[in-house]
Amino acid sequence: MSPLDRRLITHINWPLLVMVAMLFGVGVLNLYSASGFRMGDGVSLNPFYQKQCIWGLAGFLGMITMTLFDYRYFKHVAWPLMILTIVLLAMVPIMGKTVYGAKRWLDFGLFSIQPSEFAKFATLMLGALMLSKGTGRLGWLELFTILAVALPPAAMVIVQPDLGSGLNILLLLGGMILFRGLTGRVFKVLLVVVPAIIPCGWFFLKPYQKLRVLTLFNPERDPLGSGYHIIQSQIAIGSGQMWGKGFLEGTQSQLRFLPEKHTDFAVAVFAEEWGFVGAIVLVALFSIFLYLLAGASRDAKDRFGSFLCAGVFFYFFWQILINMGMVLGIMPVVGIPLPFISYGGSATIVNFCLIGIVLNVSMRRFVFKKA
Amino acid sequence: MAKTYEPDTGQQSPRGGLILLQSLILGLFCLFTVRLWYLQVHKGEHFAELARENQMRQASIIAARGMILDRNGKPLAINEPSFALGLIREDCEDIQATLRKVSEWTGLDYQVLLDTYIRGKKRSKQFEPMVLISNLSYELLAKIEANAVSWPGLEILIRHKRYYPDGQTLAHVMGYVAEANEEELEKDSRLALGDHVGKQGLELVLEQRLRGEKGLKQIEVDAYGREHDQQVIQEPRTGGNLMLSIDADLQTFVGKQLEGQAGAVVVLQPETGKVLALVSQPTYDNNLFVLGIPPKKWKELRDDPMHPIQNRVSQSVYPPGSTFKLLMAACALSEGLVKTSDTAFCSGSYRVGDHDFHCWKKGGHGSVDMRAALVHSCDVYFYQLGEKLGIDRINRYALQSGFGQPTGIDLPHERSGLIPSTAWKKRRYGENWTRGETLNASIGQGYVQVSPLQLAKFLASLVNGGKVIRPSLVLDDPVEVQSKLALSDKDREFILKAMADTVQAGTAQKLKRPDAVIGGKTGTAQVVKLQNADVRQKTHEMPYKYRDHAWISTWGQKDGKSYVVVCMLEHGGHGGESAGPVVKAVYDYLFGPVPAAAKSAAKAAGQPQPAQEIGD
Repeated sequence: MSPLDRRLITHINWPLLVMVAMLFGVGVLNLYSASGFRMGDGVSLNPFYQKQCIWGLAGFLGMITMTLFDYRYFKHVAWPLMILTIVLLAMVPIMGKTVYGAKRWLDFGLFSIQPSEFAKFATLMLGALMLSKGTGRLGWLELFTILAVALPPAAMVIVQPDLGSGLNILLLLGGMILFRGLTGRVFKVLLVVVPAIIPCGWFFLKPYQKLRVLTLFNPERDPLGSGYHIIQSQIAIGSGQMWGKGFLEGTQSQLRFLPEKHTDFAVAVFAEEWGFVGAIVLVALFSIFLYLLAGASRDAKDRFGSFLCAGVFFYFFWQILINMGMVLGIMPVVGIPLPFISYGGSATIVNFCLIGIVLNVSMRRFVFKKA
Repeated sequence: MAKTYEPDTGQQSPRGGLILLQSLILGLFCLFTVRLWYLQVHKGEHFAELARENQMRQASIIAARGMILDRNGKPLAINEPSFALGLIREDCEDIQATLRKVSEWTGLDYQVLLDTYIRGKKRSKQFEPMVLISNLSYELLAKIEANAVSWPGLEILIRHKRYYPDGQTLAHVMGYVAEANEEELEKDSRLALGDHVGKQGLELVLEQRLRGEKGLKQIEVDAYGREHDQQVIQEPRTGGNLMLSIDADLQTFVGKQLEGQAGAVVVLQPETGKVLALVSQPTYDNNLFVLGIPPKKWKELRDDPMHPIQNRVSQSVYPPGSTFKLLMAACALSEGLVKTSDTAFCSGSYRVGDHDFHCWKKGGHGSVDMRAALVHSCDVYFYQLGEKLGIDRINRYALQSGFGQPTGIDLPHERSGLIPSTAWKKRRYGENWTRGETLNASIGQGYVQVSPLQLAKFLASLVNGGKVIRPSLVLDDPVEVQSKLALSDKDREFILKAMADTVQAGTAQKLKRPDAVIGGKTGTAQVVKLQNADVRQKTHEMPYKYRDHAWISTWGQKDGKSYVVVCMLEHGGHGGESAGPVVKAVYDYLFGPVPAAAKSAAKAAGQPQPAQEIGD
């Protein structure tokens, strides 16, 4: 591992770092409000925002770690990491810990890990490695090779069941494939086949998941059950109107009509208290953030780095689209958090580490040292 | 440098890929902007309203029912706190399971609870607790309180419960309140399930005056239904307190006099029509109904051959017997058909066709004028008077004087009684009126039926100068003169004098006291036609249900105080004999004991006590 060159410091992607810091700051501020709920005699707080700060600190350390060595080492790590991930995922059904009815955790006594988080990194790195080889658009053979390698872990995550993470991995990979580009014929065929396959996925959904999709189209069909989330979320956002109800003044969240308000529906709290103006600012921040990721991909010194950044771009892009789409009532309720805004330990650490990878790529866009 | 990773450095990233990323960002931004605009600006007002509805619940504030007091301020109907089990269906996760649990705690049938719930669902507002069970016992209350925590939606409600401290004594006057039934709820939108409304007596008739007006409050709640803040939008208005003309002590006293018998006593002030006591025996405890009477108890009351629920003062009618002769005399005098000095000869019977109509006095009264006929209650005199008047004239006069129709007292289900006429008979039986029937009617028998209250009202009009006044139970309600008695003052005073003489020397001597002017008229009304008119059986030898009804209608004046007291004892036998002592006790109560001085003065005057006349 090469020591940190002074030039590396000067080439740090400051705009991206600042944008991440702003988003995380907004997230903590919003969690402060979302942690509060009105008791008989005032506002009481759950310590979520404090914990989130600690997770952020841990994530920041992870992010630094990710920049310490040349990202090209990931090329060598990609395959072993994928194999390790598959082994760990295979262990989950056997010795996993059941939390909320799903087996997602492996307990090693001293610490617990979620192999699905490993799967994200493994898919990102291996995908970047495989897609960066060759320059043309993907033909059938290359496409199937990549899918053959990347689909099994994604499938294993989905059956845990962790539809959110599984979907995230699939979409990340799909985004990277599109980023590379497909030959005209393959693209046309997929354009027909993929929409045909998606409805088949319906039969693999659990009943509660089916219900969520159905309630998207008609929330009133079950206003106190699964439609409740969607209805209350829209009431929260809509009642914020142009200027919002003000910080800590959101009735929907303070009186706890809004479910999951510190995790999946955190952005609804924000939109209620800061109104249309605040929400647009947040959407703009996310857009700039994504634009910077795309820029890092464009400016990368090599194709591997470019694909790594594109993979991270898609990882965040899909989460933002699905989470905010869900909160705004245009996507089904899927348990995918909003990066930097939703509370969550492992998600925060993973997010920062991924940013670390992008920072790594962009700070090394001018200097390539021999390993 | 570049050599190490040569294949990689050529084209850093696919051009198409970059365009893809940038257009995705643009698409994301536009999509969310449009959607946020739609939710927050376009429909913002709508969602703001929904958010307000979310946090604000409206709830009724129960208004207390007005209290009922007697004329001296003694409470007769008051409110006590009671506990009810309420259900807020929006907070309830599983209605059926919750109701099953409630059924388990209380032992009430699940199906009954479900029916109550279904009825309540129709009319309770959103988030307003509906009453599942009223009047929880303390035992049940403790049980539910301890368990309800784990069953969201259940709530203990504090309500008012009516309590009648003098239950038995005043049951027929007060009536009672109980939970509103389906029909009442349907008729009155202000009522909610579990509300109590008047069902009988004053509580029913004066419902609108007694019932308050519910208030409204707005409560800020969170998603768990916990209340955070509340604001009264409309204060509840307590129902008006009512002061009755009833004197509770007199009522209790009179009730004691009638204990063990079936009968009615009404005491009223002739000048105002205000009722001081209204007693019907046997009676019942009206508190039983407030709590929801157990079916077994209800069956017992309903099937009791003595009909304790019946108010014998206004809801029962009887042949008035000889007390009706007062009306006969008034009618004849007002028509100017006879003079008071005209006499008739009573031989003990009066022959119409081939049937003998007897006077109660076997040997006859000899020659009697109107005064003597009233004092000694001569039947034959009134047979002849009746023949002169004819039934239709009697009917018309009686109706003008307030008979044959409800008196208008503030009590429900009053009976009209019956004053027959030729037209009535034709209508009712399709037959012609007969002479004999006129004779029967003339002495208050046959078809004639009056309630004790009607008689008291008629007597009051004789005493007060001819004003037919609606009997009233509410102290401060204005006096309501319904009509004027068609009778000259001279003739009216003649009848009063005759009544006073009846007490002095006639059939009502039991009432005589030296320090007051008391007038009376007794009556003994046959329940069945005597098989053998010659042999009048002694009362105690007859089976109870064939015994005569005993009547006595009186007025009394002393020191400017004036009362009308009417007593009727069902199957009580002879009027003066059995009803007389009851009324005498009432006057002793009203006027106080006879002063010793007055007593000895009467003795000293050496007036020989005339032999008590036991007659009709």
